[in-house]
This record gives sequence, C-alpha cells and structure tokens, in this order.
Amino acid sequence: MKRRFYHLLLIIGISFQGALHASIPDGLNSANQSLSAGHPAEALTAYQSVLSSPDFSNVSAPEIWYNRGLAEEKSGDSLAASLSYRRALLLDPTLTPARTHLTSVLTLLGISEATPWSGPLFIRFHPDLLVLGGAVLGWLGALALVVLVFSGRYRKNKRPGLIGLALAALIFGHALSLLGAWADPRRLAGDQAIVSGKGEQTLRDTPADSAQAEGTLAPGSLITILSRNGAWWKISSGPKTGWIPSTAITTLLPPAAGS
Amino acid sequence: MCSISNRGRWIKPFMIGNILKLMQVFKTALIILVALWIFVGVMVSDCRAAGNTSVTAELSRAEINAGEMAELQVHVSGADNARVPQEIQVDGLQIRLTGQSTQVQMVNFKVSSSVVYSYIVMPMSTGKFTIPSIPVRTDSGTMQTAPLSFTVLDSSGVAGQTGSGGGAQVASQPGMPGFAAPRQVPQGNAPPTEGRMAFGEITTAKKKIYAGEMIPVEISYYFDARYPVQILSNPDLASEGLLVERFPDPKQSREDRDGITYNILTFHTLLSAVKPGSIDVPPVKLKTQIQMPGAVPPGFDNPVFQQMLGGQNPFTQTRELMVKTPSLHFDILPLPKEGRPASFAGAVGEFDSDAVVANPKPLPGDPAVLTVKIGGKGNFRAMGPPILTDSDGWRTYPPADKIDSSDALSLEGVKSFDFTLIAQEKKTNSPGSEFSYFDPTTEKYVTLSTKPLPLKASPLTDVVTPTATALSTPVQPSQGVNKSPAVTANSNDGEPLSSFTVRSWKTPVQRAEFLIGSLAMLLAAVSLGGILHFRDLQTRQGSVAEQRRRLTALWASLNSGTLDAASTYDAALEYATLLGVSESDEVILWITARRDVLKYGVGGSVLLGSDERSKLLETLGKISSNKASS
Repeated sequence: MKRRFYHLLLIIGISFQGALHASIPDGLNSANQSLSAGHPAEALTAYQSVLSSPDFSNVSAPEIWYNRGLAEEKSGDSLAASLSYRRALLLDPTLTPARTHLTSVLTLLGISEATPWSGPLFIRFHPDLLVLGGAVLGWLGALALVVLVFSGRYRKNKRPGLIGLALAALIFGHALSLLGAWADPRRLAGDQAIVSGKGEQTLRDTPADSAQAEGTLAPGSLITILSRNGAWWKISSGPKTGWIPSTAITTLLPPAAGS
Repeated sequence: MCSISNRGRWIKPFMIGNILKLMQVFKTALIILVALWIFVGVMVSDCRAAGNTSVTAELSRAEINAGEMAELQVHVSGADNARVPQEIQVDGLQIRLTGQSTQVQMVNFKVSSSVVYSYIVMPMSTGKFTIPSIPVRTDSGTMQTAPLSFTVLDSSGVAGQTGSGGGAQVASQPGMPGFAAPRQVPQGNAPPTEGRMAFGEITTAKKKIYAGEMIPVEISYYFDARYPVQILSNPDLASEGLLVERFPDPKQSREDRDGITYNILTFHTLLSAVKPGSIDVPPVKLKTQIQMPGAVPPGFDNPVFQQMLGGQNPFTQTRELMVKTPSLHFDILPLPKEGRPASFAGAVGEFDSDAVVANPKPLPGDPAVLTVKIGGKGNFRAMGPPILTDSDGWRTYPPADKIDSSDALSLEGVKSFDFTLIAQEKKTNSPGSEFSYFDPTTEKYVTLSTKPLPLKASPLTDVVTPTATALSTPVQPSQGVNKSPAVTANSNDGEPLSSFTVRSWKTPVQRAEFLIGSLAMLLAAVSLGGILHFRDLQTRQGSVAEQRRRLTALWASLNSGTLDAASTYDAALEYATLLGVSESDEVILWITARRDVLKYGVGGSVLLGSDERSKLLETLGKISSNKASS
C-alpha cells in the first residue's frame, strides 16, 4: 500500500516538473555580464529575446524579469521597469529585490501604492509552496484518516489521538492549500494591467474621446480591467472607474501567457 | 307634418352621407390644388430668379491687423450652376476658396435661392489692397463682382484706427467679455473723445517690494456705458524682470464719474519681481472694439426720417480701441543675505507649517508618506520644499507638491509637500522638517519646524526568507563603503540574478496537473477506504465461519459421548466461550469448577455419566438458542 502511495506522489511530482520545464538559454549569462558591466541596452535586448521565445510562453523565470527590470531601470525607463518588476513578483512574490526595486520605481513615477502581495506570510512562502505543500499534507491526512477508520487492525486499537491528528492534517493542509490559492497574485492577474501610455491618462465615462473625463491615472498605476469594448476598456483603479483606450494600458500577464 | 317628419327622417342619413363624401372629395382636390399651386409657384419663381441673376462680393472686415484673417463672401443668386475661381491673385494677399453654402428663402410665396462662396483672405504684407472683380460664370454668361478695397495694418496697431462701416461683421474673441449696448447709441456725427469714452487705471498696495514677494495688482478699464464694447484680448501686462500670474475672469461693475456712467471691467492678478532694481511697467493695454455713432448719409438727416426711426441713429461704425492704463514704477529690494537660513528656498510671505504621516504603519519595505503642509499667504508657486531633519535610516525622494488655494490667484492657501520615505532600518519616528521664509512685513527670516512623528516602519530586507535567499544571487557587499543599512541596501542594487527558477503564469489550481493530481488523490483515498473495508469485512466473515465450524464440531463430540469427563467439560467450556458467554457468567464458572474437579481430582479419565452429560448439553443448548434468538 505504501509503495502504491509513493508511486502516486512520484507521478504527480513528475507531471508538475514536466509542465514547468523550460530550458534556460545560454545567452542569459552574457546578458547578465553586460548588465553588470554597465551596458543595460545590450542586456535588455538579450532579456527581451529570451522572454519572447516560445519556451517562455506558458512559463517564465521571475529572475529574468527582475534582471530585465534592472536593465530598463538603468536605461531610464521606469515605467517599463515597473512592469517587469511586477511580472517578476507575479511569478514569485518572495523575490525581495524585485519588491524593493518596484517600490523605488513607483516612487519615481509618483505612485505611492503599497507594493502588492506584501503580507507577512506571502513574502515568506511562495504560493506554489503553500498550495502544493498544503495539498500534500491534506491528502496525507485524508489517507491516514481512511486507514485509521477503515482498517480493522487500527479500529480495534481505538486510538482517538491518531484519528484527531489525521483529521487535523486533512483540514489544515487543505486550508493552507486554499489560502495559497487565494493569495496567489496570478489568480487575479488575468484582469490586471498597468497604465503604460506616456503622461497621465484620462478616464472617460463612456468609450469615446469626447466623453466626459472622470479623472486621470498616472503612468505605472495598477488597474483592474472590468470589461472590454473594442479599442476601449472599462477599468477601475481604487475608487476611480471609467473607460480608457486599450493602447494606453498593458496587461500584467504577457500576451502569450494571457492567451 | 307627420309625412314631412317621416321624409326628413328618411332623407337625413342619405344627405349626411353624401355631404361627408363630398367633403372628402373637396379635401383631396384642395390638397392637389395647393400642391400644384406651390409647385407652379416654385417653378415660376425659379424661372423668375433665373432671369434675375446677380453676384455680389463682401468682406467680413475691410481692415485687419497683420497676422489676422478676413473672410470674403461672393453671393450668387438666381443661378444654380455658378463657377467661381479657386484662388484670387492679389499681390500681398492670399485668397483661397474654402467652401460654399446655399440659402433658400421663401417670402410671400416667392422662393429665392442664393449660393455663397466663401474665401479666406490672408495678408502676406501690410498696406492697402484692392481685391479685383471676381468673375462668376453662370449658365446665362459671365458676371463680375465689384472690386473691394482692403487694408492691412501693422500688428502693433494704433489706437483709434477707423474700421469698416456699420454692416461689417466682427470676429469676436471667444471667452472675452464685453458690454452689450445697454442704451441706444447716441445721436450725433461727432464721436466723443477717446479719453472720456474709455480709459484704464492700475492700482497696487505697494510700490516698494522685495524680490520674490507677491503683490496683488488691480487693473480697471472704464467704458462709457452708452457704447457697446467687445473685449478682444487680455491686458498685456508684461515687463522685463516681472512675473505676472495669469488673469482670472474679470469682474464687471458700473460707476458714475464726471456725469458719465461707466461700465468697469476689473482684472486682478499677482506680480512678483525676479531681481532687485527699478522696474517701470508700461501702460497696460486692452484691445477692444466699440460701436460708435457714424455719419448720417445725405437724405437721411431730415427730422421726419429721424422721427420715423424713433430718434435712433441706425448708422453706426465699429472702432477698434486700445485702452491703456497709466504706467507704473516699482522699486525692487533684494532679500537680505544676513541671517538667511540654510533651509530657505525662496518663500516670501507669512506662513505656518504642519506635518502628518498618512500611513504610520506601512508594511515592511512599503513607503510611508510624510506630508508637510505650508499654509499662509505668499509666493506658493515659487517656494521650494522644506528640508527633512533626522532622516538617517530613511531613503527619501524629492517631494510631490500640491497647492490648495483659498483664492483665485493662489495668494493664500496651503501647499502640501508629500515626501515618500522608505525605511532602511527599523524606525519608530518619521523625519522632522524645517522650512524658512522671508517675512516682508517684519523684514526678517523666520524658520518653522515640525517634530518627528511616531510611526512603525521597517525595511523589507529584514525579512530574508530561505526562498528569497536561494533565488537571489549572493551579492558581494560593496567594498569600502559605509555599512549603514541604507547604503548596504543600495550596494545590492543593480546586480542581476544568475540562478533561475521556472514558474508557471498559472496558479497551481488553474493547472490541469493539479486537478488531475487532486482527483487521483481523492480516488486513491476512496479506493483505499474501500479496499480496507473489504478486507476487514473478509477477515470478519472468515472468523465467523471458522467459529461456526468449531461450534458444530464441539457439539458433535459432546453428543457422541466418546470423550472422557474432563475433556467433555473442556469442550463445553470452549463451546460456551465461543458462544460469547462472559467469563463471569454462572454457567462458565460452574463448568470451569466441575472440569477442574474432574481434571485434578478423580473421575476425569472415565466417560461422563449420561445424566450429567444430558444436563450439560441441555444447559449449552439453552445458551445457544438464547444467543441465536438475541
């Protein structure tokens, strides 16, 4: 029985690893060297090339996005850097350097927004760890509970402590898994974007250039997409809601990942 | 009577029905007739119009300043297919066709139509020009407009330039105020003198001011209330070394002076000087257009005609008038260098300060915002930010500022400076602030300060996680630099990470592998439960069958009478125990006691007596039947 259980875990692990497989291109080392040597433009081209490769459509590496953000920041493009840092944090909310740099570039952009996903739990543990670890613990508890309840040998011994422990593992593990899933920034990222147009963008009350202005949004501001109407998207940012041209915003997920 | 009434009763419905039918016929005929009449009328009038073709040309303004434009309209009536030139060649002017419009009028059932061709006239030089006759080709031949004279003045403009006649259209400046004709334009051929008709005044509280000091200035323009006025520009208050705020909307009022009622237009603004010295502000001009009485043509000046017009003079002329204020002189004093604080950043006026922290408990690594508010009266736009004190352990950025004015000119109000602060070490207080200004009333510098405010902030670098550490490239501390937390944090900046982890853009829950894995685990748990339950059941079922077999065998051996006495009681004890009789039960105790006597005493090895065996079997049979029934 134990052997079968371990086989099952192994299959799950292999399937996850297989899904996350992506080869790290060799050019990254030279890009890193260019960035360290003070040539951010060269490094940026290399990072862009790597991140736009087909291997990185469904998966990505937060560290490459962070490095790209550094290159953009050093090139003086704080807006692009903020997007790269946000994407790095989206993939790995525990990536502390990305958080620090995002705070800096947002400040430079005049946005005093609290950095996202900065709860004490979430900056310590990656959501994947919470979800998968919680799921493993929960299912182990579930299996243990099944054994304790249905096996005659254990039933005769009547060990309530063991059953309680298994039940606790079942509940806590799955609760942890749910918490991780809820806290995962990628959960909402599909409907999130940043203002990427140059200069302040005007929110309109209807999808038309001539519509009444509802307020403005600074470049780099995080927004939530509520609906889409052709070239105009209805968005919200804090208390502000209105329509904005889709050309003035960039989705948080890269287009390939978003699709 | 009776017959008549009967006949009338019979005839009435017939007559009413016919009358209704007739009315319907008449109504239809009438509609057709009216339509025909209108159609014929239109056709006749069109023919009449066609036979009466005329072309005229008209300039929107006969005089313009250089840089302005005028409109030339060519009216063609009575011809449908007129052709006009696209451009009209005049040296020094550029005249181009911009479009056409058709006007149809119906007066006393006479329909007339005219086509208006619009040209834009752009002067390329100043001087007097003559726009030649414009040829208009129609189906009935080529017709010519009358030549027009056109004057382009120097853009500096001279007050009192005479304009076109009363019929000229004036392009008014949008958003500019004006005084509509409050009264009829007075009679008379001689216009009043300009000084009495319109003049300006400029007043200021001080003429000796400090560099950077903001002083309010009031500019009033007086217009004789009898003449309609259109304002064409803002006052052109400008002088080298002076900064002038934009003019808010002027206020309008009315005042009697020297027996004349004046409409007054009052502009308020703020002035400040950028450098010490003496500044002469030239007269502040305002470009206006005034409608004045014009000359009465011969034949219209007899009293009878004027009485017919109700005493009004319909012949007016529009004049552009540049209204001026007197000039003004300022002495600009330098700000004293003695006693100038280090935190002085150009503020001149009277101020106070306050500070507030918007988010006193930011999350680790998140910025706190310290807002320093400078309130009072002075040069808010020119003043620089306060300086932060006790800012060690903070990373700070240049503040964003915002002015909330309590007046339109922003002389009084509050200027807020938002400092973004990022803790580089654990902090329990915000920085303080220091702000200095020069008070022109007391002629001294004043320094204001705010105390550090309580807050709780910590850097993100305090929370170093195993994951983050594993992901981050080990960064070598910079050599020979200050080891304060802020500098250490900065020294880590800019180093790219060289170890990579592959992450999905989807959450685990959104991925098929997770769902498949979860389903597999659920299936495994259910299967495991099922298997265990089945096994347990199997085990339990196996033991019962065995028990039954043993009981049957025991019962058979007890009944056979082949066992000795001790063995019989042994078998009886096992039988009772297998039936589930408790060890403390009387039957068990009796069987046990008798067996021990037989086994350890005498008679254990002989066959049991038939009576005793029957009694034993009867007891066991009762127990068996009791158990079976329960």
